Amino acid sequence: MIKIDEDLCKGCHLCVFICYKNVYMISSTTNKKGVALPYPKYEKECTSCGDCELICPDQAIDVGVEKHWWLKENSNWKFNPNFSKIKQGD
Amino acid sequence: MSDEKSPFLKYLREDRLPHIFCSGCGIGTIMNGFIQGMEDAEMDFDNIAMVSGIGCSSRIPGYMKCDSLHTTHGRAISFATGLKTSNSDLDVVVFTGDGDAAAIGGNHLIHAARRNINLTVICINNNIYGMTGGQISPTSPHKSYGSTAPYGVDEYPFKLAELVTAAGASYAARWTTLKVDDMVRSIRDALKNPGFSFVEIVSQCPTYYGRKNKLKTPVDMASYFKNNTIFTSELPSYTEKELEGKIVVGEFVNKQKGEFVDNIKNLSKSHYGKDPLIYSAYSEDFD
Repeated sequence: MIKIDEDLCKGCHLCVFICYKNVYMISSTTNKKGVALPYPKYEKECTSCGDCELICPDQAIDVGVEKHWWLKENSNWKFNPNFSKIKQGD
Repeated sequence: MSDEKSPFLKYLREDRLPHIFCSGCGIGTIMNGFIQGMEDAEMDFDNIAMVSGIGCSSRIPGYMKCDSLHTTHGRAISFATGLKTSNSDLDVVVFTGDGDAAAIGGNHLIHAARRNINLTVICINNNIYGMTGGQISPTSPHKSYGSTAPYGVDEYPFKLAELVTAAGASYAARWTTLKVDDMVRSIRDALKNPGFSFVEIVSQCPTYYGRKNKLKTPVDMASYFKNNTIFTSELPSYTEKELEGKIVVGEFVNKQKGEFVDNIKNLSKSHYGKDPLIYSAYSEDFD
């Protein structure tokens, strides 16, 4: 779930530039500061790579990547079990 | 799991946000990259001391929830040397800009690299003096424009990572703000490295550098970086003429040498049989 903080965003649109799946679009309306905010229009395409979260200079984006998401109960990912020593439930 | 906030906000002083940097400035990206690299290196945030000089980039420690030292112009590395020598348990990180590290503090930079003292210097190179109004700096590219160079710069820029490599640093790398993952990995390696580590990050300054050089928006500057980066591994296939105006990114040196504080300790042990006197003004009275 992608969340963009309206108070922190300054509208540089670097997230729009760096996203390789083109998730973001620029809204036509502005907020109270006069900034055209980006919004995640095609959120289903998002692969949770977290590049927009890292490049956002104003710390406004939260992609919501869960820690150890591959260890969830109903996940279909099949990794080598010795890949991570963290047990489920941590 | 997530509390609907950016994961980097827990290390920042949230009452001071949004910060003072212009829209699209790369310094915020470098703050994120430093926090991520610090988490990857599994360092203790309370044990980190940040030192900075004067400039846009030197405002970073003011936004971080850790011990910091805001010092005089160009002398950040000198203050950091004193801090590290007096308390060698601290992890000292220096944030400088290009005017701070290359112009007025150039000698401090090369001599810290020569001594190989255990500091991590993160140099944010935006090719111009951003805070004072767009004057050209020692790292402005050839034929770029600034408010003190209306017909273009005739001089050639410093190559900081190569300079520090030649001065004898044990880790030197250069990245751009676009290469966030490489930047995070490089900052992690620099923090872990016992010795002088230097990470130069070429950052965008759309307000001054971009406006004078026909790259007005942050996205224009980002696409300029994307189209003009060359990795160090590709270097042999380019001639010197083709390399003009390009940004060479990559790791320049990564090797271990004797460290400054360790050398002092070894000297003291070999001559006097004990560690140098730190926190021990009256220790001889209690013996």
